Amino acid sequence: MAETKSYYTIETDGTLLCQKCKVPLEKADAVFSYLENAFPVELPVCPKCGFVYVPEELALGKVLSVEKVLEDK
Amino acid sequence: MGVMKEHFKERNTRDYHQKRLFTKEELEERESLCVHEQSPFCSAACPMKLDVRDFVRRMAAKDFTGARAMLERISPFPEILAHGCSHPCEAACRMGEAGESIAIADLERVAMFLGAPKKGKGLLKFKKKKRAAVFGGELFTLVVAAQLADKSYPVEFYVEAGDAESLLKQCAPFLSEEILASAVRRLQSMDMKIFYGTDLSSAFVEEKRGAFDLLCAAGYLAKESPDADTLLGKDGILYPSEEGGECLRTFYDARRASVSADRLAQGLDPSTMRGEEGTVTSRLYTNMGQVEPSKRIPLRGEGEAYDGEKAAEEAVRCIQCVCEECLKGCTYLRHFAKHPRILTREIYNNTGIIMGDHMMNKAMNSCSLCGQCAVTCPNGYDMGEICRLARENMVDTGKMSLAVHEFALQDMLFSNTEGFLSCVPKGQEQGCRYVFFPGCQAGAVASEAVLRAYRDLAGRLDGGVALMLGCCGAIAKWAGRRELLNEQKDFLRQEFGKLGSPVILAACPTCRKTLEEEGLGQVKSLWETLLEIGLPEGSACHEEKVVLHDACGARNDQKMRQDVREIAGRLGFRLLPAEWEGEKTSCCGYGGLVAYANREMAAEMAEDCRKEFPDAPYITYCMACRDRLARQGAQSMHLLELLYECPAGTPPDISEKRRNRLLLRETILREFGGGDDMSPAGNGCASPEEMGFRAVITEEARRQMDDRMILDTDVWKVMGHYRDTGEAVLDQRTGLLIARLRIGNVTFWVKFTEDGAGYIIRGAYSHRMLVRTR
Ligand code: SF4
Ligand code: SF4
Ligand code: SF4
Ligand SMILES: [Zn+2]
Repeated sequence: MAETKSYYTIETDGTLLCQKCKVPLEKADAVFSYLENAFPVELPVCPKCGFVYVPEELALGKVLSVEKVLEDK
Repeated sequence: MGVMKEHFKERNTRDYHQKRLFTKEELEERESLCVHEQSPFCSAACPMKLDVRDFVRRMAAKDFTGARAMLERISPFPEILAHGCSHPCEAACRMGEAGESIAIADLERVAMFLGAPKKGKGLLKFKKKKRAAVFGGELFTLVVAAQLADKSYPVEFYVEAGDAESLLKQCAPFLSEEILASAVRRLQSMDMKIFYGTDLSSAFVEEKRGAFDLLCAAGYLAKESPDADTLLGKDGILYPSEEGGECLRTFYDARRASVSADRLAQGLDPSTMRGEEGTVTSRLYTNMGQVEPSKRIPLRGEGEAYDGEKAAEEAVRCIQCVCEECLKGCTYLRHFAKHPRILTREIYNNTGIIMGDHMMNKAMNSCSLCGQCAVTCPNGYDMGEICRLARENMVDTGKMSLAVHEFALQDMLFSNTEGFLSCVPKGQEQGCRYVFFPGCQAGAVASEAVLRAYRDLAGRLDGGVALMLGCCGAIAKWAGRRELLNEQKDFLRQEFGKLGSPVILAACPTCRKTLEEEGLGQVKSLWETLLEIGLPEGSACHEEKVVLHDACGARNDQKMRQDVREIAGRLGFRLLPAEWEGEKTSCCGYGGLVAYANREMAAEMAEDCRKEFPDAPYITYCMACRDRLARQGAQSMHLLELLYECPAGTPPDISEKRRNRLLLRETILREFGGGDDMSPAGNGCASPEEMGFRAVITEEARRQMDDRMILDTDVWKVMGHYRDTGEAVLDQRTGLLIARLRIGNVTFWVKFTEDGAGYIIRGAYSHRMLVRTR
């Protein structure tokens, strides 16, 4: 897959742990999608089980505002 | 009701079709009902098109220079017009019906005196190629010559008079010495060649005309009348419409002649493309109801003028005629600061956008569809109906986001599945004459009152009373979801049918209206029934002054509004006279699902409902009004709470509302439930206990959930998933665990801690976007 730029990046500092795998989440490639639109992003992800974490600030900030824009498309 | 799932599929932003909201004719017909943009009557009467309302406004604000500039713009000799005009604007002024019309003539005269003259000539203008000649000294030719000069035509003006002063005396004999002198200065500053002392005759005109492109002559040189519209004579010369016409008419003639000159200069037919000319008939509505009558501020004496103070005082009497009847009561229209005509056009355009931003979605979804404007507008403009049709159009064409109304629609679904009950009391299986239909909000907010009301009705009404807990379908209707509405209707029709189609006793005005409009049966209001059989035993007497807040659902139901007043009276209440009551009532913000699409707007609506009597208690006969007013801090009670003496207290949050409905359902089943004619119980909202774990929600988290429209059942599902999979993130900085689950179109995240006793829920949030790894 061609290199795509990320719309949003969250750095990780080792303070987030996957509760199931007991390993720190790491910054990794992820995709947000809504109403047939997709955005590559970099989020904290568990390297073992792939759990993607969406922090509250992101959900109620950027994610919400992009949702609203798409909803009015 | 398996089909319902289909309705909750997110749309695809790349796949939609087109359907026109209105035909061009229908759009125009609807728009033309709004007269907001019509001219005030004063301006409509002015052929020179002076914006009299704005002129008077400037005078009131003591902007004399601005006011004077307006007069300079409509004619090259404003002092002549101000003194010679017959002022039809005054006769048309609406203040004539409330004391005396505004002294527009005196204001114009004094504006010329108090205002500073226009400075400079503006941009340097190049002379036009076409040359103009004007023959004969009279007001008409004087004004035409000045106008053509102002339009940068090279002008030669031939007059008999010996000098400027005698020319002006001849043109405007009514001017005083002082004003005459200023008119002379004005003439002398104009860029044209004046040939004084010319011996004018038809022969002279014939001799000269060859050298010019544009010709104009005095009425006394005309051989016959010119064309009535263009003022062009058969000889190619522009003439006044009549010789020695009245001053205003002459100025208007001169303006029309100049328009013709422009068209001729471009080699075009002067009778076409002239734009709107002259006076117009205005359909503006001005509400004179609350206008204080007043008389003119007197002048010091005959022929005297106002000074600045007095002029402003006179101008302040002007009521600035405008139609804002619909805005007065409607928070929504005031908030968007648009008149229905403009709003309609913008919403119409919005529905037509295929790919791109639908900027008016929020606007069309923020109207409470309450119908107030249709009553307050003198022409019955029904903005609510337009917003509702626009929503339907957006839904039908696949352009309406599900996100806006999904919570409400799911709630409706809940009311008609898990929360639904159709109950025939034991012993009445052979059929009931009535079915009590309290409405979804009554059970959610004041379930005890519903229970007691049902007991009362079942005990006192002959013929048996069944009970149906459910939603009337208004939610689907408000959301513009027609298919869903039809399904709900089919479902209800079937359920009423099973009961033998009894008379529906509706407590909620919106249920009553919807069930009736959608043809679901014979509907009667609970209030009418209670008045017939007498109020329940021992309803207390309240010696209190209260506001009775009318429901928007009862706007067209005068009988119901009367009945509830009768009941309130019998309960001893004295009603405070409110400005927005009866058919003019304002919506609490529940109508039209505003609370889901635009929370702030809904709060503003509820706030506006109580601003006239901020400290008075409110009584309502719609449970949604009761709930929203209480949430806004008012003391509010529904008639059911008062009649059955069981105040429901502080408004429940969204989860409690569901629980209350389920509990009510269970209680009724236990108390009245009979044989197998009972509708099947829903699978209920599982509690943590039922799911096999223990959990509590902190106060803080509860508030957050209510605010973010997250139900506790959503939270339990997330926790159940965590318990089963162990999937969560531990944030070591806060010590909080965060688990998530996708439920339908939403991902819910729950922040919690875990101790020996179970989970402590400390927060929750959600988003609709899907997230996955790449
Ligand atoms: S009340 Fe409102 S909709 Fe009706 S004419 Fe006036 S401005 Fe227009
Ligand atoms: S009250 Fe004012 S705006 Fe209304 S007609 Fe009279 S001058 Fe015009
Ligand atoms: S909220 Fe009510 S009064 Fe206001 S535009 Fe909508 S239907 Fe009309
Ligand atoms: Zn993991």
